[in-house]
Amino acid sequence: MKKYIQTTVDVVDYSSLPLVQKYALADLLYVAYGLLIVMLVLVSYFAGMFDMLPHDPQQINMDLLMSPPGTDGHLLGTDFMGRDILSRLIVGIQAYFLPGMLAISIALAGGVILGVPAGYWGGRIATCITYISNLVDSFPRMVLILLVIAAFKPDIYYIMIVMGITGVPAVATAISNKIYFLSQKNFIEAARALGLRRRVIIFKHILWYNCRALLIIQATLGMGEAILLETSLSYLGFGVQEPVPSWGNMVQSGANYFLQGNFWPSTAPALAILFTILGFNLLGDGLNNILEDRRGK
Amino acid sequence: MSGAILEVINLSKHFHRPRTLLSPLNRRSDVIPAVDKVSFYLRPNETMGLVGESGCGKTTVGRSVLRLLKPTSGNVIFDGRDITHYSDNELRPLRKDMQMIFQDLDAGLNPKMRVEDIISEAICVYGKLSDAEVRVKSHALLDQVNLKYSKLTSYPAELSGGEKRRVGIARMLAVGARLIVADEPTSALDVSIQAQVVNLLRDLQKQLGLSYLFISHDLQVVELMSHKVAVMYLGKIVEMGLTERVSGAARHPYTYILWSSLVEKQSHEAPRPARPDRRASSWGVYDFERPSRGCRFAPRCPVYQSLGRPAECTDPDNEPQLRDVGEGHQVACHFPLIS
Amino acid sequence: MNSSPLLRIENLRTFFYSQRKHAFVRAVDGVTLDVGRSETVGLVGESGSGKSITAMSVMGLLRGGPGVIGGRIEFESAHGRQNLLEKLQAFVEVHEQNGRVMSVSKDEKGWRKASERIMRNYRGKEISMIFQNPRTSLNPYMTVGGQIAESIRLHTANRSESEARERALYWLERVKIDSPKLRYKTYPAVMSGGMCQRAMIAMALSAEPSMLIADEPTTGLDATIQSKIVDLLEELKSETHISTLLISHDISVISRLSDRVAIMYGGAVVEFGPARQVLDPHEEARHPYTAALIDSVPSQQKIRDKSNLQAIEGDVLDTINVPAGCRFYDRCNRVKDGIRERCATQHPPLQEISSGHHMRCWLFAKG
Repeated sequence: MKKYIQTTVDVVDYSSLPLVQKYALADLLYVAYGLLIVMLVLVSYFAGMFDMLPHDPQQINMDLLMSPPGTDGHLLGTDFMGRDILSRLIVGIQAYFLPGMLAISIALAGGVILGVPAGYWGGRIATCITYISNLVDSFPRMVLILLVIAAFKPDIYYIMIVMGITGVPAVATAISNKIYFLSQKNFIEAARALGLRRRVIIFKHILWYNCRALLIIQATLGMGEAILLETSLSYLGFGVQEPVPSWGNMVQSGANYFLQGNFWPSTAPALAILFTILGFNLLGDGLNNILEDRRGK
Repeated sequence: MSGAILEVINLSKHFHRPRTLLSPLNRRSDVIPAVDKVSFYLRPNETMGLVGESGCGKTTVGRSVLRLLKPTSGNVIFDGRDITHYSDNELRPLRKDMQMIFQDLDAGLNPKMRVEDIISEAICVYGKLSDAEVRVKSHALLDQVNLKYSKLTSYPAELSGGEKRRVGIARMLAVGARLIVADEPTSALDVSIQAQVVNLLRDLQKQLGLSYLFISHDLQVVELMSHKVAVMYLGKIVEMGLTERVSGAARHPYTYILWSSLVEKQSHEAPRPARPDRRASSWGVYDFERPSRGCRFAPRCPVYQSLGRPAECTDPDNEPQLRDVGEGHQVACHFPLIS
Repeated sequence: MNSSPLLRIENLRTFFYSQRKHAFVRAVDGVTLDVGRSETVGLVGESGSGKSITAMSVMGLLRGGPGVIGGRIEFESAHGRQNLLEKLQAFVEVHEQNGRVMSVSKDEKGWRKASERIMRNYRGKEISMIFQNPRTSLNPYMTVGGQIAESIRLHTANRSESEARERALYWLERVKIDSPKLRYKTYPAVMSGGMCQRAMIAMALSAEPSMLIADEPTTGLDATIQSKIVDLLEELKSETHISTLLISHDISVISRLSDRVAIMYGGAVVEFGPARQVLDPHEEARHPYTAALIDSVPSQQKIRDKSNLQAIEGDVLDTINVPAGCRFYDRCNRVKDGIRERCATQHPPLQEISSGHHMRCWLFAKG
């Protein structure tokens, strides 16, 4: 039995509806949760920057090895060297935050630079750009990253540059598809016929009005991916190196003591990874549906 | 032609089939002549109808005239200036005078912009105005196209088809155009809304002295709107002249079929007298041969059939040219119908 | 007219639900019409008037909820008369408030199952349908002839492959496709729009149904092709005596082919009667909408005088916000002082004003 209910006798204008009625509840919850995570990450990042931490993350305390959460002001306990896990978690954000931003910026900038001409002019330029994109896409990302690590050094910035470059094709394709869709609807032709300048058409109409949602979504999804990449590489020992904390190497070092019953040194960063990546991905999903108005008629 | 706002001389536009690795193996020609040596002129305050079936190149003519497409050859002369080879930058100041109404109702209506932003953008393309001036002008424009002020805050998705069309027309008037290429301006609209738009376009012409190149497949609307009509078939103009002459005394067999199919659709008995001399028993309209040289209509032509397939008609080097048959009525046919 | 019509639609209601506005789209709300044996009934209306939804409701092809929520669709076949919506009413619960539907509960799974069980015996077999876009309604990966033969084997006594092929060729010839033997083996992609429509008609008729629903059969085709399709439909009508429900926004097509005409506005039939009476511009008793619709098409007179068209002011009805009174009230130019009150507040009923001529207008209301 499916029930359909009309809430009001006189149907109001869609755009003046309250937010809750305008969009699906799930999408709003996703975005709310995602924004909460983003806020937490930002606040923690700046707290770590300005040394507003409960404890010194590097301080070794031989008296409090592996103390469980709640012991003596250590909210999440301490690790095998007696360092405060909460402080290390907060500082661990620095391991991916700026590098992740770098990766996103490279992917978005590259995507715009390649995607706009491919969509706007089409023809041979589009073919060339498609070939380049396919070339980049066909090369396994992990292999590329390991090559870079082998050639230079296991630095997170190098890794993120590689991630940014390998992220370019996806953004470029999305943008050029969007432009193609707009030109199918004579949108660009009409703007030209009106006498608008090309840069106004590209920057104002295409990028600002029609691609901004797409770019925001790509950015949030990219951040989730950056965290995942950083943590998995750090876990394997290729990313951020001890003693500098990163969520990945925290899980790795804590995992050795997991079976002894000391689960918290690895579980805390693992949960942080889980909820943060989930937050960024749900934010992307929810924003996608809300900004693109993907909800029924 | 002196005094013409627009003159088109031997305009051709060829499209190329996308070349692939295997295309040398394909015997088909790579060039599609969408428009082939089309010439006409348009005077100020005049409407010229351009009719023909889908795929005959009438839209391509419209786009080439506004230089949204670059013609392959020929000349487009707007207001005495040959704009055929103008660059985008040189064209921009001229866009103020020539505008296009697109068939697609959503063309030009950015879905993320409110109506007021769309209109004020158009107002400000050729010179920034203060907010108050923009408001006054956009209200005046809405009055001109009969749209309520309350629609200013709507997004295009919230407008009906007729309202979208009106916003499109307001946007076009905002820049102060004099030549308007109207590409099927009514075909996406409902019957009752079509009439409103046709009336609006006619009233605007009277008030502002606009010139229209009116592209449509709706013969009745074209007849009502236009002073002159050109009939296109496979990229060529086959007949051109005053509307009454072309619709009432067609000389080209294709024009005749086109107009009689309109009448046949309406009533059981054909009200037009049959023309026994040149009228064949079977009107072969299924054949989709598309010759690119010689008379393009020959494979479908009843006159060609009834005259026993004369050689002139299929001779690739003997293309029928537009000939004057009196009072500016031109026809491109080896054996024009006798009026 | 025939005392027992082949198809009889009574007060059909088909609603959809707008997630965005939390409101019902009253796509079809009060369609009553009947189609007699070997008769063609034209259904005229603008886009959004619900004419295609009516056809889809009859065929039971609607997707999206809640769909059909009320009314009767009676169809007479060799097995007697059956209401196609019989027993289905049990799956729907409609709650009204001040004559306006405010909530609908529908067991969609149960409805679909029951509807499929009934429609299996009718769809394609008794009632065939042709659509506006013939190209997309044909399977692009099957030859034209193959598709027709398949439909013949499915719906008629001709079960063997060779028999079906014979019949398919016969129908291809019947719809005047040149060199049917050759066309039998071609794919829809290489045929022109007009030819695809002919093939669709052949396919629809090859099942030898007693009723054909033609949804905008000429729309989107070129002018010269349109008139040929109309010729073909007229010829088939006089030869096969098939009952047809012809849906179109093109009044000229309707007026040429139909015996009776139903005019739809805003989801309801506003006028229904003999074609001559309904479409005749000199007839006295005409619905204001019908009159205005016919006047808004450029006539020969208008073209000669180069005068402006008689446009209907205002916009096509928004079927979400349906007014309480007459749906045409806002745009009507014949509201008189005596009835203004009623026009604005009460929805007029469909009444028979003269033999076989039904009208939904307070101007002609009795009593």
